[in-house]
Amino acid sequence: MAKVKVATAWLDSCSGCHMSFLDLDEALIGLADKLEFGESPITDFKKFTPCDVGILEGSISNKHDEEVARDLRANCKILMVLGDCACFGGINNMRNLFNTDDVIARYYSTESTAQNSAAPHSKELPALVKVRPVNQVVKVDCYVPGCAPKPSAILYALSELLDGRIPVLPGEIMRFD
Amino acid sequence: MQEITLTINGQSVKGKNGDTLLDICRANNIDVPTLCHLQGLTDVGACRLCVVEIQSEKKPIPACNYPARDGLVVKTSTPQIERYRKQVIELMFAERNHFCMFCEQSGDCELQKMAYRFQMDNVRYQSLFPKLPNDTLSEFMVIDHNRCILCGRCVRACKEVAAVRTLDFGGRGGETMIAADINQPLGASSCTTCGSCLQACPTGAIVNKANIFRGKAVDCQTANAICQGCDIGCEIKVSIKDGNLVRIETPDRTGPRGALCRIGRFEQINESRVRIKYPMMRNGKGQLVECTLDEALAAAAKKFAELGNSCGGLTTTRVPNETIDMFQKLITGTQKSKAIDTLDGKEYRLISSGIRQYTNGGAMPEVDPDIEGILKADCILVVGADVDRTNPVMGNLIRRAVNMNHAQLINVDANKDLLPLWSDMWLKPAAGTERVLINGLAKLVINNSKSLAELKPELLRVLSLYQSDKVSEKTGVTEQQLTAAAKILSGTKNCYVVFGDNLTAQNDTDLVTALLNLTYLVQKGIGDKLNLIFLKPGINSQGVWDTGIANKDIKTQQPRGLYLLLSDDNVDKEWLTWLKGIDYLVVQAGYHSPVVDELADVVLPSRIWDERGGSYITAGKRALKSNAVMQRYGLLPDEEILQRLIQKINVMPSRS
Repeated sequence: MAKVKVATAWLDSCSGCHMSFLDLDEALIGLADKLEFGESPITDFKKFTPCDVGILEGSISNKHDEEVARDLRANCKILMVLGDCACFGGINNMRNLFNTDDVIARYYSTESTAQNSAAPHSKELPALVKVRPVNQVVKVDCYVPGCAPKPSAILYALSELLDGRIPVLPGEIMRFD
Repeated sequence: MQEITLTINGQSVKGKNGDTLLDICRANNIDVPTLCHLQGLTDVGACRLCVVEIQSEKKPIPACNYPARDGLVVKTSTPQIERYRKQVIELMFAERNHFCMFCEQSGDCELQKMAYRFQMDNVRYQSLFPKLPNDTLSEFMVIDHNRCILCGRCVRACKEVAAVRTLDFGGRGGETMIAADINQPLGASSCTTCGSCLQACPTGAIVNKANIFRGKAVDCQTANAICQGCDIGCEIKVSIKDGNLVRIETPDRTGPRGALCRIGRFEQINESRVRIKYPMMRNGKGQLVECTLDEALAAAAKKFAELGNSCGGLTTTRVPNETIDMFQKLITGTQKSKAIDTLDGKEYRLISSGIRQYTNGGAMPEVDPDIEGILKADCILVVGADVDRTNPVMGNLIRRAVNMNHAQLINVDANKDLLPLWSDMWLKPAAGTERVLINGLAKLVINNSKSLAELKPELLRVLSLYQSDKVSEKTGVTEQQLTAAAKILSGTKNCYVVFGDNLTAQNDTDLVTALLNLTYLVQKGIGDKLNLIFLKPGINSQGVWDTGIANKDIKTQQPRGLYLLLSDDNVDKEWLTWLKGIDYLVVQAGYHSPVVDELADVVLPSRIWDERGGSYITAGKRALKSNAVMQRYGLLPDEEILQRLIQKINVMPSRS
């Protein structure tokens, strides 16, 4: 049987969900027989290539995040999101309680310890947008919430996918913290 | 009660007429999810999680406030119902800022548990991100409106358990917010800080500052104990994590004593005094230095053996009977001293001599009824009792009686209305004339009833001096007020009188007798049990007083040496001044205080409230046993230290 090709990316997040995936430890060896990894945060790439399962962590917080999410969606058959940020917006949601300009001003001037610091301005930099969960930008097929999701929850979801089912975490496995 | 039969999920179940559908489901172990329901509080159907399908109804109906009828056919779980429930949860999450990873309650939260149950792994609705304030002004609690689901459990707990009615809903529709009084910060409102709302809250909307992030309920061990804040003796449940006391709660959130209070729930855990962890002795330079227990006891024993019966004992009433036993053995047994007293002995002598002067029933009247009986009172007379300061749960019970039983509340105090907003009448006698007022009321109550006048001619004679016009002149309370109060008291069928410690300083035994007379009269002279509650300061005041050790004022005996068993209590200024005249002072205390730091010659450590176990006699003469729930610094029990001291004194050569 051909291996299932997986591509992953992180959006606005702490990378904790990927770490949690690595925390699968010895279970990774079993998965390696069935999975094949394409693009991921540790590979160098500009655009995703077609894959079976796309995995995203993090919320949509700027224009770049939107682009990455759309690109992966277009290239994958099933899109799975990991973590509270991707499922609900997560801790990044706190920014939505303030004006974006105020947030930038606070980061680059009020709280900054550098002298004469100012917010950088460049066309290259993606503009901040209102923080949203991934499913408000692209269609999402399955969700694994948690901050970070327990490795067991990730394993459950991947195993279900490999068995040909769309996973919905049972209440006993699901955690939001 | 008429029995009814209905069909739930195809199963025939029985219930009583008057039960709600939810009651019957719960009684038959049929699972129906709820959020706004809390057993013991009125159901309002706010959260819509308990919706069920009823054959005769077109729409899904909340089970919690639907009266069950004979022959109903109900389905508690259908795909459609489950879908509705999940949608309700999703809408709740979308409405305010419910983000679990930065919430104190995550792990203990009922909303979160419901989300898990309905496998809510995403929210179909966009969050509204409302900008909501946090109310942090209260000393012990935070209201975080971001986490609120407006279930109203806090509002109902505030109304029905604490009976303060501080919290209510403010605003309309989507703008509805929990508001204290007229939308004031909680700390500046009429809140009595009992924490009933805190414990009723299913989410992280009301949290305790003392235990924020100190341990989820699931990670804590719990143990039951008795609160030692005052003599009411409420049952408490303490949570312990990694050897730390995390929180104090009530095991029964909506029961008669479900409120707990500022002292019990918060102050006992927010202790700012410095703990005494080891024995100390005063050296030649007048400094307290650490020493071993043996050294401290040897020094104390040597001096006590020399002083003999000129060495007295003074104790707090917060310690259990077992400790008091040993304390008595030391002072009256080993030292053969008559100088023994309690810190609150003055109150005891006031009350007991007042009772001795009372002659109506022939025998000694029985006072201090079960305090929960006050819930059924139709009239409550509060005399000099600042209940919210001294015995706050009593305040809750009084308010509940006013709230639920429409009891009429008459407050007698010279300085302020101690239950403002709640008193039907505040009689404000000039300071020191309370007795005149009480007797004046008694006279009017007799006047209002012919049979009472015939029943007690001698009492009538005594009270004949208290004509309304003279009473009014002396006390400054108008005659109209007197008549109105007497009318209430005459018409009552179940009156309770509560006497507090505001008037202890007057030391007016006649006032106590006058109160007993008045209580006797408003009870129409029936029975020898008087519904007169004397509020006491220590959890074991009753138990200690019963041993008779507070019969004589120690100040009249002038002992040269003194064993002060202070435990976690404090001494007031009056005692401190008197203690300065003691030549040799041994203090057994849990915390540093001026008496320890400045006066004590020998300091012995003492266990504090959660470290000691034993039996207590609390309000209403209820005997309670409490277990030690914590152990710190390897301290010995108080009675063990006392016993070792006795042994040491007994082998002192100077004794023989």
